[in-house]
Amino acid sequence: MSEINGADKNGTKEAKEAKEMVELTIDGQKVVVPAGTNLIEAAASVGITIPHYCYHKDLSIAGNCRMCQIEIKGRPKLEIACNMIVQKGLDISTQGSSQAVKDAQAATLEFILINHPLDCTVCDQSGHCKLQDYHYEYNAKPSRFEEEKVHKVKAEPLGPNVILDGERCIMCTRCIRFCDEITQTSELGLLNRGDQTVIAVNKGKELNNALSGTVVDLCPVGALTHRNWRFNSRIWYAKETESICTGCSTGCNVKVAVRDGQVVQVKAKYNAEVNKEWLCDEGRYGFQRFQPKTRITEAAVKGSTVELQTALDSFKAFKGQDTVVFLSPDLLLEEFWLIKKFLDRDIQKFKTVIAYKERELNDVEKILVSPDYAANFRGAQVFSLGGEKLESEYKDALAAVKAGTAQNIIIIGERAILREDFSSELLSGIAKAKNSIAIISDAESPLIGSVQTVIPERTCLEKAGLYVNRKMRLQYIDRLIDSPVGTNQVWRIINMAAQRLGQELISCANDRDLTLRYLQSDPRLSTLKIAELKNGGVLLTELNEAGRSKTQGGVTAV
Amino acid sequence: MTGHKKILLQHIDKPDQYTMSGYESRGGYSTIKKVLGMDPLKVIEEVKASGLRGRGGAGFPTGVKWGFVPRNSGKPVYLLQNADESEPGTFKDRVLLEKEPHLCIEGMLIAAWALQSHWSCVYIRGEYGYPYVRTVEAINEAYKKGYLGENIFGSGFTHHMVVHRGAGAYICGEETGLIESLEGKKGQPRLKPPFPAVVGVYGAPTVVNNTETLAALPWIMENGAAAYRAIGTEKSPGTKLISASGHINKPGVYEIDLGYPVERFIAEECGGIWNGKKLKAIIPGGSSVPVLRADELKGVNMDYESFQQAGTMLGSGGFIVMDETVDMVDVALNLAHFYSHESCGQCTPCREGGHWIEKIFHRIIDGKGQAGDMKLIENLCAQIGGHTICPFGEALITPALSCMKKFPEEFLSKIKAVEGETKGQGSGSRSSSMLAQVQ
Repeated sequence: MSEINGADKNGTKEAKEAKEMVELTIDGQKVVVPAGTNLIEAAASVGITIPHYCYHKDLSIAGNCRMCQIEIKGRPKLEIACNMIVQKGLDISTQGSSQAVKDAQAATLEFILINHPLDCTVCDQSGHCKLQDYHYEYNAKPSRFEEEKVHKVKAEPLGPNVILDGERCIMCTRCIRFCDEITQTSELGLLNRGDQTVIAVNKGKELNNALSGTVVDLCPVGALTHRNWRFNSRIWYAKETESICTGCSTGCNVKVAVRDGQVVQVKAKYNAEVNKEWLCDEGRYGFQRFQPKTRITEAAVKGSTVELQTALDSFKAFKGQDTVVFLSPDLLLEEFWLIKKFLDRDIQKFKTVIAYKERELNDVEKILVSPDYAANFRGAQVFSLGGEKLESEYKDALAAVKAGTAQNIIIIGERAILREDFSSELLSGIAKAKNSIAIISDAESPLIGSVQTVIPERTCLEKAGLYVNRKMRLQYIDRLIDSPVGTNQVWRIINMAAQRLGQELISCANDRDLTLRYLQSDPRLSTLKIAELKNGGVLLTELNEAGRSKTQGGVTAV
Repeated sequence: MTGHKKILLQHIDKPDQYTMSGYESRGGYSTIKKVLGMDPLKVIEEVKASGLRGRGGAGFPTGVKWGFVPRNSGKPVYLLQNADESEPGTFKDRVLLEKEPHLCIEGMLIAAWALQSHWSCVYIRGEYGYPYVRTVEAINEAYKKGYLGENIFGSGFTHHMVVHRGAGAYICGEETGLIESLEGKKGQPRLKPPFPAVVGVYGAPTVVNNTETLAALPWIMENGAAAYRAIGTEKSPGTKLISASGHINKPGVYEIDLGYPVERFIAEECGGIWNGKKLKAIIPGGSSVPVLRADELKGVNMDYESFQQAGTMLGSGGFIVMDETVDMVDVALNLAHFYSHESCGQCTPCREGGHWIEKIFHRIIDGKGQAGDMKLIENLCAQIGGHTICPFGEALITPALSCMKKFPEEFLSKIKAVEGETKGQGSGSRSSSMLAQVQ
């Protein structure tokens, strides 16, 4: 089936490139869309929702749920909107203007629900379930079904991360198509026929590809759930925030649900240019992996707790000295901006390195994942805080510390030196250095005891600001978790240090203020709105002198 | 009962007709030799002119179907023989495959030449073991003789033929379900458009023809479209194989001139109703077409248009005869069970609705029917029909609807008997009030 639809999709793409526009009517409204657009997208372009389960814009057309039926004037039967490409002069009626369509939608929902268990009370999808939503919106009638429901497997692990509840499944096959067409690993298939049909793992396989958790996002109901997060919170008790994954430099858009300071679920947020609606398992399930369990909340100098201001005075000793600065690649772009200003003005002689290492990726990872754990290394490069050979510069700096040739060391960020690089030689090199400061967050950091001054920082999940992804897309990362008392953002710490050394770099109340100030500081960025950086982001390479994006292609509305 | 032209079953009683020597001794493979010298487009024209219609059930004009195939797509054209014969009551192709395998092959070659197809496949239902063996033997014989393979009859035309066995799913008789199955996937119909004539097997143009349709081609090309048109009626030219089964004295496969009266067919070919019983109803075209009551048969002829006028279809020619002892609720349940069991499970209305209908028939038979049950089934049928990916939805609802429509009293009597018994019971009143609310 993929071949046909593949052909269709190609056709769509070419037609779009040609920019030929087609005019049609939907519910009495004139709609003009590029040739090749299907009716679901055409209707969406004028704000009309055609409900659907199996359709996904980045997967092939399955047409099996029958939820998107619409009426076309002059045709005796209803058609499915997902498989219908716009044609000039089509006159379409959706549920907004056709009783037949309303009836068909109600009928579809009635059919889907006859064998669907009423376990909303314990279902993880409850509250963000398309079956619930659509039933309320398009049917909302009591069921006429009085027979025994079909019973199927209730909790079958499909792989290390995903569990299937066969009874909740509505057979939309989005998960199967994802594994066939996107990861091309084909772990899943349909077993049996009729109302006995179930999603099953193909013989000898396991749903263990690098993006496997994505099928849970794609599942419109509660049939697929995350093994890690099953039954851990009703979604309405959690606060959902849209942000960027800090796992690598791809910059996948995510929706993170947090309850009591803990991430209870991570979902992909659609971004056509970055991650579509996919997310890798490492990023999703390891969302909190860089978040330390125990935190440093007080500054210390040589093992003794001190006032923050006292700790900041340690920076004075670096002025004019040859200094090595280790920077974490997950700092905000604005933080790199201020660090650069600070180093230039108040340290003067310095060499900065970014903790950057590449790794091998498998074929499925290559679809999405970048070969690093350095989410904002591009942000550092924007201010020339890292050169072309990030990896060797970082290695050389570590060697210099070990050899004792680096006598003044500033470490900014918990991941400024990777855990695996903390050898005893490195730690003794730091301990022997003349001056050393670390702005870190983990109370169990190996640095404690070796470094002279420790200043507590907030992690990347505790602050909001800008990230630049590997492909130079500027995006907004939001604050997800409340920070412990006593911690500060790196930018605030640097600004206070600057003040301590003479004059503050900037006067800002909070993260948002800083972001706006930063955007205003650059004529290319000054017209950008935080909202557009949150929703799609902007390619820095597409900005011209005047600031606006040359093409709208860089900005994707959701 | 004589007087019918024998086009397909002419040599059916010759014991060696299935062999190459037997087939050739009676003129076999002489037509294809001539056809290979013709312009392929002329062959299509001839078949169009003959008015031959697809014998699998839909009755679509064969030549027109061939005409949809793009001729210079740069892709191979595939020809598939649909021998999945899975409609209950239909067993006509089986006879051809067992006794006239070479006729089917010659028909395939004619179609292949017309379509300029170099690859074809016979898709045989899994349960047809013997027809499979006979077909494979015949293909092997044809290869040995050089009638298949390269440079057939020195014409320079190459054609290869393979046989594929189904795994026992009704839906693989639907042409796109067949194609999916042939490609090694789960037998599930495809969305249309695109149609197989443009995007079929492996994305290439594909023609799927029924066995009986293909078997008629040698005669048509030998005798000409006009001769074929001279048989049958204007809109239904030619002959048709009818698989007669049920409560008749002489069940079997009969070749009739289209337009033959139904009552005469039952009385003469079928030898009348068995055991001196009275005729109750027939299903004339395979189990998915509407039932006709005995009193509706007067003046009805066995052809596409007359059956249509009578509110049913010629379909695949699966002619099922039922005597007065038959319980129509049982018939409805039996067929509802068959169709819900065979639903591929792909699209919602058929997957869920088919089983629901079966369950309701079950409760009626079990004496638990409710007042609104017939209305409910009718309503469910309306929710299925026209809302599915393939015509299986219609196949599923037709027997249910037509049994209830033609014999309402049989359903009502079962439900009413129940109502009397359960009157006043809590559950009964709850259900009926709920039904009243939805209706």
